[in-house]
Amino acid sequence: MGDASVTAFPRRTPPTILVVEDNVLTRSAISDELRAHGFKVLEASSADDALMVLDTMRIDLVFVDIHLPGSGDGLDVARHVHARGGPTQMILTSGVSDASAIPDLDDLGVFIRKPYLITRVITLVSYSLNWPDTPSA
Amino acid sequence: MSPAATNLTPQSDIPQQTILIVEDEVLVRLVIADYLRECGYKVHEAVNAAEAVAMLQAPEVSIDIVFSDVQMPGDMDGFGLARWIRGNKPGVQVILTSGVERSADIAATLCEAGPLLEKPYSSQGVVDRIKQLVAKGQRS
Repeated sequence: MGDASVTAFPRRTPPTILVVEDNVLTRSAISDELRAHGFKVLEASSADDALMVLDTMRIDLVFVDIHLPGSGDGLDVARHVHARGGPTQMILTSGVSDASAIPDLDDLGVFIRKPYLITRVITLVSYSLNWPDTPSA
Repeated sequence: MSPAATNLTPQSDIPQQTILIVEDEVLVRLVIADYLRECGYKVHEAVNAAEAVAMLQAPEVSIDIVFSDVQMPGDMDGFGLARWIRGNKPGVQVILTSGVERSADIAATLCEAGPLLEKPYSSQGVVDRIKQLVAKGQRS
């Protein structure tokens, strides 16, 4: 019984990821790669846009840069998700070289430092969402 | 047993038109981008003209069509972006749009004649079709 085999079938609906990044080339590169791995990906360039998307549609995982220009930053996005509760997972990133400049994340989510390997992000996202990391494995 | 993952058409045979959507309203942009991706296009997104120019100048990114809102915040609006493209990227087609309904209409038109609907198709046939639609979009 304990060894009962479990067959994991691919989910019919791919998880939805919100990529929040103000650098368009970085945002586009990571989003394209995530799409190539079967995820549905939405893009936002600011905290305000991210919050609007989060309040409008179901998001399974937010990949957010902590340092964003404008009135809010990535931590505001993360805290919003955290305060709301629910299953939305978070991966936070930042390019600052000074570790002390990265605030205490208080279990808001996993942190990955820039520059990151996109493959590392894909692995992290796939693991977090239990999603096959190859399109047709 | 395993899900039917049969893809009889090699990926390399599928003509991929790449569209850059330039729209500052995030929910409008997401809907249009999603729609066009469902139709089979490769889609990039830019929030304003500055981001669009950065994408167009990136050597690793190739854009066939820019689909841009006219009214955008920042130093350059859609007309300014179109002028920049004409001067710097003459091979890129531009469709300017204003208003959500107009955007949806143009996206639907692009979608209707998109590469996923008619198989088999030739790359040139799709290119011709897209060019036709771009010309139509510019006239109306």
